[in-house]
Amino acid sequence: MSTFEAATAAGTSGGGSLTLTKGTRPIKIRGKRSSLLPLLPFFAFVGYFLIYPLFTVSKDAFLDNSGHFTLANFSQAFHGVYAQGFLLSMRLSLASALVSAVIGAALASAIVRIGQQSRKVLVAIASVLANTGGVPLAFMFIASFGAQGLVTKALKFAGIDLYAGRFTLFSFMGLLLVYCFFQIPLMVLIFSPALENVRPEWREANDSLGGSRVDYFKNVSVPLLFPAFLSTTLLLFANAFSAYATARAMTAGQMPLVPLLIGNLVDGNVIANQEHLGHALAVVMIGVSLVVMSMYLVVLRLTKSRS
Amino acid sequence: MKLKLRPAHYLILLGGALFFVFPLMAAVEFSLRTNQGKSYGLANYRWFLHQDGFRPNLFMSFKLAALTAVLVLALMVPTVVYTHLGGAKWRRLIEFICLVPLVVPVVSFAIGAITAMPTIFQSSPYELSFLYVIISLPYTYRALDVGLSSIPLTTLVEASRSIGASSRHTLQFVVVPSIRSAVNGAIFLAIALSLGEFTLAVLLHWDTFPTWINNVSQDNVLGAISLSVFALFGAIFIVLIVALAPNIRKSEKIEESA
Repeated sequence: MSTFEAATAAGTSGGGSLTLTKGTRPIKIRGKRSSLLPLLPFFAFVGYFLIYPLFTVSKDAFLDNSGHFTLANFSQAFHGVYAQGFLLSMRLSLASALVSAVIGAALASAIVRIGQQSRKVLVAIASVLANTGGVPLAFMFIASFGAQGLVTKALKFAGIDLYAGRFTLFSFMGLLLVYCFFQIPLMVLIFSPALENVRPEWREANDSLGGSRVDYFKNVSVPLLFPAFLSTTLLLFANAFSAYATARAMTAGQMPLVPLLIGNLVDGNVIANQEHLGHALAVVMIGVSLVVMSMYLVVLRLTKSRS
Repeated sequence: MKLKLRPAHYLILLGGALFFVFPLMAAVEFSLRTNQGKSYGLANYRWFLHQDGFRPNLFMSFKLAALTAVLVLALMVPTVVYTHLGGAKWRRLIEFICLVPLVVPVVSFAIGAITAMPTIFQSSPYELSFLYVIISLPYTYRALDVGLSSIPLTTLVEASRSIGASSRHTLQFVVVPSIRSAVNGAIFLAIALSLGEFTLAVLLHWDTFPTWINNVSQDNVLGAISLSVFALFGAIFIVLIVALAPNIRKSEKIEESA
């Protein structure tokens, strides 16, 4: 399972601006001082298995092979193939986030209109599709959009040659297509709760005041849903940016995406003694993700404070 | 007034369905090919069932999933319950910590684990379960938090304590049963995540079902496609059961109260 559940939560609160309902407040037992003791197992576990590794990787990123402080790892991370990797990863993540956000939002707007039971089934399937990746996903696309794939053959029969230009499944456009397969369902999952909060009464109000469909779209639904849309798009970016299994299965080393570069350094496939470079790349990746996710949180905050 | 489906919506749904159904159907078609595509059969499915490592690796993934689920329950249920009772002032911090794994790309986390964890810990595949607990935090926290927000927790706990139950008994016999579906949700999420996780397993050099699929896929393309179909439809099957199951329980409750 990947980001969808928490993201669903975020989407819900993003759409929370549309309604006045609020969750139950935390309640306190009277006359009891809150102690930290019952939370110690949690803090110990998270401290050791999450904070400590992140601290170590950040610290090591500033060390050279003999253990002295250096910034060389970072300057290497921002040059040559690694800089290209970051640019490519960001371009792919941005493109797949934008395309999937638009298509996913359209799909979600259709899905919230269908019956409860079939919607439940579709959402369940979407949660699986949003988590497909790696070899299974790669093979599905090779079987359909590959040079010998069924869709390719069907399109050729209809007179459209997918492979007439420079398209291959392993190019940028091909990867974009594959990424959409898990990004669009993720968008549907996260964005649907926000759409469900749009009241049909608002549409009626618009109609009875003489507004057209364009007026409704321009003045009601777009301003209402834009924050949720934007925040979800940022989440999709982060999701694509950190995708490793699919990138590895699809590119066979042809596309220098950052997660793959890091993976190669860890496996020692390239050059030995470059561990610290791997650490620096990992830290820069966390940095990019952190920027995107804090933008996401800011958008959510703004949305909440407006309600 | 209910929102209506317009012709445009049918077009969108149709387009979406085609985009998602075509790759699935194409994979199924390929997986059934036998005799160099001259006829159809189940030979490719039989191939992977008899591969070395199919059962041990699937079993390994199930064991990791079970351990992850147990760890998640033991760690998260008391913690989240406490943030809803006396520890409310820690709630913000815990919520924040539980979101951190969303921000950290798994590759970066994997490097951190390789560098930081002691050798003795890294010598057992079960280390993966501890790391899976971390990457499932955002989802499991959310599931439990939502569940606890929907019940009168303070009242229940006070009632239980006033008739003399210990904290452990209160948790075991009062709180957990009343958030059963949220607990189930958290378990399910943890299990699904552990069964499908690839990045940590491969970077920490352990063999699990997803990494095994990756390895055998290099020898036999059609076999690998069958395996992919098996894994994907298996996952859809499990999720559909879980999605449709709560209805059964609801109708049972109605019968009981009647």
